[in-house]
Amino acid sequence: MTTTQLPTAAEPRRVEVPKKPPRRQREGAAWVFLSPWVLGACVLTLLPMAVSFYLSFTDYDLFNSPNWVGLRNYTQMFTEDPRYWRSVGATLMYVVIAVPLQLALALVVALALKNMKHGRAFYRSAFYAPSLLGASMSIALVWRAIFNDGGTVDNLFGTGGWVNKPGWALFAVALLTVWQFGAPMVIFLAGLQQIPGELYEAAEVDGASRWRQFLSITVPMLSPVIFFNLVLQTIQAFQVFTPAFAVSAGKGGPADSTLFYTLYLYDRGFVASHMGYASAMAWVLLIAIGAITAVLFRTSRSWVFYASEGDR
Amino acid sequence: MTTTTSTPAVRKPIAWRRVALHAGCLAALLVMLYPLAWLLATSLKPATEVIASLDLLPSKLEWSNYKTALDGVNDVSVTQLLTNSLLIAGGAVIGNVISCSLAAYAFARLRFRFRGPLFAFMIATIMLPHHAVLIPQYIIFNQLGMVNTYWPLILPKFLATEAFFVFLIVQFMRGLPRELEEAARIDGCGPFRSFFSVILPLTRPALITTAIFTFIWTWNDFFTQLIYLFSPEKFTLTLALRSFVDASSTSAFGPMFAMSVIALLPIVLFFLAFQRFLVEGMANSGIKG
Amino acid sequence: MSWRSRAAATALALCAVLAGCSEGDGSSSVGGKVVLRYTWWGNPDRAARTQEAVDLFEKKNPGIEVQTSFSGYDAYKQKLATQAAGGDAPDVMQLDYRMIDQYASGGVLMDFAKQQGALDTGEFDKGLLATGKVDGKQYAIPQARGTETVVYDTEQWKASGVEPPRQGWTWSEWADAMRALAEKTGKPGATDPGQSEDAFEIWLRGQGKALYTKDRKLGFTADDLARWWTFTDKLRREGAVSSAEQTTQIDGTVENTPLGRGTALSDTNWDAPSSGYLAIIPSGVTLAPMPAGEDGTPGQYFKPSMFMGVAADASHPKESVRLVDFMLNDAEAAKILGATRGIPVNETLRDAIAPELKDFDKTVYDFQASVEGKLNAPPQAPPSGDSALQTTFQRDYDQVSYERMSPREAAENYITEAKAELRS
Repeated sequence: MTTTQLPTAAEPRRVEVPKKPPRRQREGAAWVFLSPWVLGACVLTLLPMAVSFYLSFTDYDLFNSPNWVGLRNYTQMFTEDPRYWRSVGATLMYVVIAVPLQLALALVVALALKNMKHGRAFYRSAFYAPSLLGASMSIALVWRAIFNDGGTVDNLFGTGGWVNKPGWALFAVALLTVWQFGAPMVIFLAGLQQIPGELYEAAEVDGASRWRQFLSITVPMLSPVIFFNLVLQTIQAFQVFTPAFAVSAGKGGPADSTLFYTLYLYDRGFVASHMGYASAMAWVLLIAIGAITAVLFRTSRSWVFYASEGDR
Repeated sequence: MTTTTSTPAVRKPIAWRRVALHAGCLAALLVMLYPLAWLLATSLKPATEVIASLDLLPSKLEWSNYKTALDGVNDVSVTQLLTNSLLIAGGAVIGNVISCSLAAYAFARLRFRFRGPLFAFMIATIMLPHHAVLIPQYIIFNQLGMVNTYWPLILPKFLATEAFFVFLIVQFMRGLPRELEEAARIDGCGPFRSFFSVILPLTRPALITTAIFTFIWTWNDFFTQLIYLFSPEKFTLTLALRSFVDASSTSAFGPMFAMSVIALLPIVLFFLAFQRFLVEGMANSGIKG
Repeated sequence: MSWRSRAAATALALCAVLAGCSEGDGSSSVGGKVVLRYTWWGNPDRAARTQEAVDLFEKKNPGIEVQTSFSGYDAYKQKLATQAAGGDAPDVMQLDYRMIDQYASGGVLMDFAKQQGALDTGEFDKGLLATGKVDGKQYAIPQARGTETVVYDTEQWKASGVEPPRQGWTWSEWADAMRALAEKTGKPGATDPGQSEDAFEIWLRGQGKALYTKDRKLGFTADDLARWWTFTDKLRREGAVSSAEQTTQIDGTVENTPLGRGTALSDTNWDAPSSGYLAIIPSGVTLAPMPAGEDGTPGQYFKPSMFMGVAADASHPKESVRLVDFMLNDAEAAKILGATRGIPVNETLRDAIAPELKDFDKTVYDFQASVEGKLNAPPQAPPSGDSALQTTFQRDYDQVSYERMSPREAAENYITEAKAELRS
């Protein structure tokens, strides 16, 4: 085996490559790699998705065979259900608050830890610790105790309870998500690990300032990972369920202020047994998130840098 | 564990910066870890204080919460519950790391027909709320005779159904320069060789990340475990701790908190064991000889 | 045109997947033994006692093996619905009042008439037994009964000097007592009952009306509901019942009620779950009857706290019914189970276990005995839309207590939603 040296992205190295294998052979290899995914996607993903799409045009109630009702679920959702629109509003508000805060915090902490010489492992573990819990029932009870009347936050800042006030409960739930910023932080850290040290050394030799290095090395090299976190956290935030379910004990209260989209979907599907309606809600959400993600992918062309495509 | 920096006086400006960095991090940690301290303290509170008390510290230490929790639930011992949880989480980790990296390699580095649309479809699968597909999936697993086994919890991971991780690894692989494989090809490596000996070692941070998240998320995934597991002897720690709370009868919040602390330990250990590899990542695997 | 026919074909195939998959459930007899699956909801204590009773059943019926499973109530509801929808309902299941109509009309439950003779209901109160009927068929058997109660902190109420509740007190007497308590102690007298559909039902029954009519329509008008909510809203504004911020924290556990948090003196709750208060209020709680209508018509009733049902496609219906019979009628089983599911419905067994009841079980038994014979017959099981409406009721009242809607507006909203829910 020969030594493969890492070429720097800044100065791509052209190598004379021997004849590539014929196209069909390479295609075959791709499908071998894809085979587990294809099997899973067809049986465990595509089929259930198709069923739920079909159900969104029916009155399926979990217990009786579904009857075709055309677009009724969709028209009812848009025109006759004020609670639906309240859930849309709450979800948008949550996405706008939680996603930027969580990503900014994760990035700042990851950058702070990157250059740390001592205690990095300790800090990384400690900052990740809240994310180990998930949104379990015990953490929900703790959250309620802290953000309640007479709880820690009230005692310190005199804010009164948050979880029981319609204007503030959403913020308390968003903070729970922000608090668990470990996942994007670890992904940022892993991304930072992957940036070849040679790049910084070269920049150092050229006398580039820290800020300059950050802008012209860290940001572009990290951009695939920043993009990943942005897309995934946005998708997940639109589907926020467990934190609100746990903190509001499944009700989305007070006064529907944390009745997020999927919480209401769950309520319709499994509490009220209107699975047809819930399926329709799910597909509207898929289309909405899909549109937003498509926009993000479109913009990514101008700011996300892939080393593998850097020379093309 | 904390490190205080003692630097020679000559390099004062840098030392100042470091002290400030550590001070900032410690202050942030104090806030961040407060709820965890609360969780720990609550697990030792007597029943009267678990919910009602808004003080951090218990008036007396109620170790019986732990004793109750360690007795297990309904004749099923804590060791059994722990083994079950480990089995599921361990299987899920192996499945996800293998299947997601295979699929990711195809998406990131190989060319094939319909790559764009298939990738878009894969991303779309994470956009549909899982409640909408729960019942069809249940029907499928029931038809396969897999309900009340661990298959519904592990098999999907071997089939790369978690697009989150495929996408994650894809992003990391796309960050690697294309010349790597071209160099490998000069050495006569086919796609399989270059996947195993060039790309995979370089994606280690992403694979470790996948392993860590899969373990933690599978461990905490109450919902799927609830739906597919029937017999109490197949229950997991996560299921068991919820059974201490039942809204229609008397709940045992103290033991539930104790059980959450017990259930937390294995994932803490797993994280501590694996997070070390995150550091090494590039340093060790950059050059293959 | 082609995509249409293709879509139709796909839809057809999917329907087949959805509808036709209930049969073919193997693994129901292992090694010549009949295997039954039995699920319930409850806490670990109930689980331990139930397991003991089931073990006894297996000993007495050597050919039958029972696999049991349990979870908390909310988790149980979700799991059972998924299993039922997937054609995989357990052979014997514990059911709530609100589930019966849905599960019976969805074809999940077996009519007990099909296994006549295997179950003895001679010792059951006829009115209570009828609550398990849908369209005249017995789909579920009540397992235990409970009734609503005004549960209060004995010591604090006594210290306030306000006259304690008495048998047959009316809603206006109750309201006066709450006002007096608030004035004497500075704390609201009770949880705001406006959010509770159960409390509303009792108030409604006290006026000779009902939540639902016999043909599963709404039994009251927007006027009735607006009057109830105006009544509770006024008390809330006076501080006689808990504030919106306190009321909204109710999550089904006694710990998170205003009484449990120590911010109110009493609560309206079901009798058996009130035992949870003992752990929080060591000085003790007292169970008092619910207020009656102004002319003395009692609103509260004995409600079956849970039922047992057998799956329509149970592979061994006869053995399943035998298990139900054992759990409800066997004297030894009754001794093991005690009052873990509430006071038994079998009247002979109820009297037999009475002397052995301890602590709060005894309190509940005595409380039920004190209202025995004074209450009206329970209504039939509520229509399937009710499980959704229970939450809707609470949500609409949130709009009132947070002063975003008037009681009248919220009541009209509720009626519109309820009519839509019951239509479908």
